[in-house]
Amino acid sequence: MAPEVRPPSHLSNPLATLEQLSTSGSQLDGISADLETSILFAGATLTQAAGILLHLPQDIIASAIVTYSRFWVGAEGGSLREYGAKDISAASIYLTAKLSAFPKSPRSVLNVYSFLAAVPSTFTDLDKFSELDYEESCYLSEGAYQSRRNLLTKMETIILRVLGFQTHVALPYALCINYLQALDVFKGPSGKALASKAFEYLNASLLNPQLLYLTHQPPALATSAIYLAAREIGVKLPEEEWWEVFDTDREELGFLVVAMLSMEGFVGEEKGKWEGGSVPLTVEGVEKEIERRNGVNGHDTL
Amino acid sequence: MSSAKSRWADNAEEEVQRKREKEEKKRAKLEKQRQAEEEEVRRKKAEEEAAARKDEQNREDSDRPTKRRRLSHDGEDSRTKEKAEQPRKLLRFAAPAWGPCRHVDNFERLNHIEEGSYGWVSRARETATAEVVALKKLKMDNLNDGFPVTALREIQTLKESSHTHIVDLREVVVGDTLDDVFIVMEFVEHDLKTLQDSMSEPFLPSETKTLMAQLTSAVAFLHSHWILHRDLKTSNILMNNQGEIKLADFGMARYTGDPPPPNLTQLVVTLWYRAPELLLGAKTYGFEIDLWSVGCIFGELLQKEPILQGKNEVDQISKILTLMGIPTDTTWPGFRRLPNARSLRLPPNPPPHATKPNIRRTFALLTNAGVDLLLSLLSLNPDGRPSAAEVLDHPYFKEDPKPKAKEMFPTFPSKAGQEKQRRRDTPSAPKRGEGGKVEFGAVDLSGLFGAEREEGGAGFQLRMG
Ligand SMILES: Nc1ncnc2c1ncn2[C@@H]1O[C@H](COP(=O)(O)OP(=O)(O)OP(=O)(O)O)[C@@H](O)[C@H]1O
Ligand SMILES: [Mg+2]
Repeated sequence: MAPEVRPPSHLSNPLATLEQLSTSGSQLDGISADLETSILFAGATLTQAAGILLHLPQDIIASAIVTYSRFWVGAEGGSLREYGAKDISAASIYLTAKLSAFPKSPRSVLNVYSFLAAVPSTFTDLDKFSELDYEESCYLSEGAYQSRRNLLTKMETIILRVLGFQTHVALPYALCINYLQALDVFKGPSGKALASKAFEYLNASLLNPQLLYLTHQPPALATSAIYLAAREIGVKLPEEEWWEVFDTDREELGFLVVAMLSMEGFVGEEKGKWEGGSVPLTVEGVEKEIERRNGVNGHDTL
Repeated sequence: MSSAKSRWADNAEEEVQRKREKEEKKRAKLEKQRQAEEEEVRRKKAEEEAAARKDEQNREDSDRPTKRRRLSHDGEDSRTKEKAEQPRKLLRFAAPAWGPCRHVDNFERLNHIEEGSYGWVSRARETATAEVVALKKLKMDNLNDGFPVTALREIQTLKESSHTHIVDLREVVVGDTLDDVFIVMEFVEHDLKTLQDSMSEPFLPSETKTLMAQLTSAVAFLHSHWILHRDLKTSNILMNNQGEIKLADFGMARYTGDPPPPNLTQLVVTLWYRAPELLLGAKTYGFEIDLWSVGCIFGELLQKEPILQGKNEVDQISKILTLMGIPTDTTWPGFRRLPNARSLRLPPNPPPHATKPNIRRTFALLTNAGVDLLLSLLSLNPDGRPSAAEVLDHPYFKEDPKPKAKEMFPTFPSKAGQEKQRRRDTPSAPKRGEGGKVEFGAVDLSGLFGAEREEGGAGFQLRMG
């Protein structure tokens, strides 16, 4: 069994302030909010796919996605015109794994990212990556490797500086199991199904454009995922307001339930928007996309 | 050609223009936020004052305790308590949970304190506030793997450890190049090593007891947060002029778990404070290694000098066995299976006196309870060592002389506050890149155990296998 390296505090996360959520480095740089949303979502999805190919446990992948997401928020956050989403994704996963019990070499990380560069990862079912028979092999020439490794480590340092070395991430997964046990439904006939459905919601929420992991504490996330999973699977939970036992009030639960349920629709829309093309995850790609949109607009006004 | 050139020039100009606009927008935004925050602080303060006035009124109006008052069960005046808690609340509101590192230019360097194996430390003053702090520059080696994991852990563990007896990490600041990283800590006047060296007499028994209680409480805190310190020694223990020690140097610290991760490096803890299981090459280890170091520090405070000053790893284990006796299969089951144990050919049936510790004789002035505590901390078998929490419950801390109140501690002139650097002759913590494993090979051993050697005091022989 893999040893569990204890995280500092499993209950509370540093959250984004309202001010940080009101703007971003990218928006100040003239990137429209909807383009930003698309790119952040695609980069988070890429991180999840890379984590799967690197055989990292889900909690490490989740921490990497949270770090990746924190990087972009607020006036002092990174800008997509300055840093590529793909590079920040790779550096987030490299940094997070380094601090975990499962460190990955720069080479493994870079190999996975160059493999993924050839696969449209954004709208591919993520389960496909788990089934994929990915064999690590050298996709990079020595020269390309050297320069990408330098870039990877540089981006790692930039993430640390932008986040002021805030690397602490608390996650809801273990709490979710504890809560299911406390509710006495984990050992039951649908316990397994319930847990895996709840985890599905928690995983999908990592990619949520409302940045749920940056705005809500783990107990509320776990509680909401359980609420939805129980409803879907048809497991009866106590009549009374059980979520309050887990530090979540009705209002927050309501908000999170709606946000979590909106994910499917959001992904569908994104798919529609980007059909035929892929979401740009590099600085050059973003510039091209901005130019293209300007061109289209310019054309419209003619 | 020329059109391409002008297009490039346009782009560059546009780029500069864009950057400038962004900077302006950012400034405006931050200014607006700052004002909003100030406004919020004012509003809260006004609210608070109004509440306080109302509270006052209520109390005058009736003897019935207010709701708040009933909640405070410790009898403390609820209003003073409330007041004391207020600033923290406001702070939480105002400060974002993360933000970019500030530049080291915000500090003026005053003087060097110490150059260690992982970096250098200096006394500095924050220009804006005139507050004196300690700045430690983190060493960035092996940059092929990016930001050194040791430095990351040092920041991560220290950040998570807010405790009266652990040095306070204020922030992380950076310099111009990507590998200029500094941690800003509260400045603490002394370290125990330098301080002891400058004293003519050891600490009094009552003082030693206070220092031990403070140290152990810090270690208990770390362990309850799953942090291993892995470099406890007197030069890493700071002491201020208020009689408080502050544990420092988290350069070796890391998170662990149950069971501990399998990839723990054996290259930890400065030789003189290194536990026997590490010297014998144990592949996994736990909190017990820190307790061994605490034992060494206890002895050092009593003697005013390190108690086990080995010249190398083999000499270290030999000094340990001289003090603590030879382990037997009963006192330390399984020790023979440790990788380096095979190299020591210990007698299968050592004479009883050779297996007995010499603590009583070495620490003649120590009370029985003190001896009992020291013996348990320096138990060869890691399972025989108490946890930090158990140490705090030991009768040693309850018997006379009572621990001296920290307010009663003498103040000492600070070496670090002066231009002079602290001088140091303790060996350093093991360095990264010296290989993943402790080398305890035949080469080392033959040097010391090659010839049969009589250890007069302990009456046993160590032989090369
Ligand atoms: N906050 C502080 N206030 C005052 N002095 C300090 C502070 N932190 C460290 N020092 C001094 O600097 C010395 C070295 O600091 P520290 O142990 O953190 O660095 P290091 O480079 O890891 O050292 P080493 O490798 O020698 O153990 C300490 O022994 C102490 O004398
Ligand atoms: Mg030190």
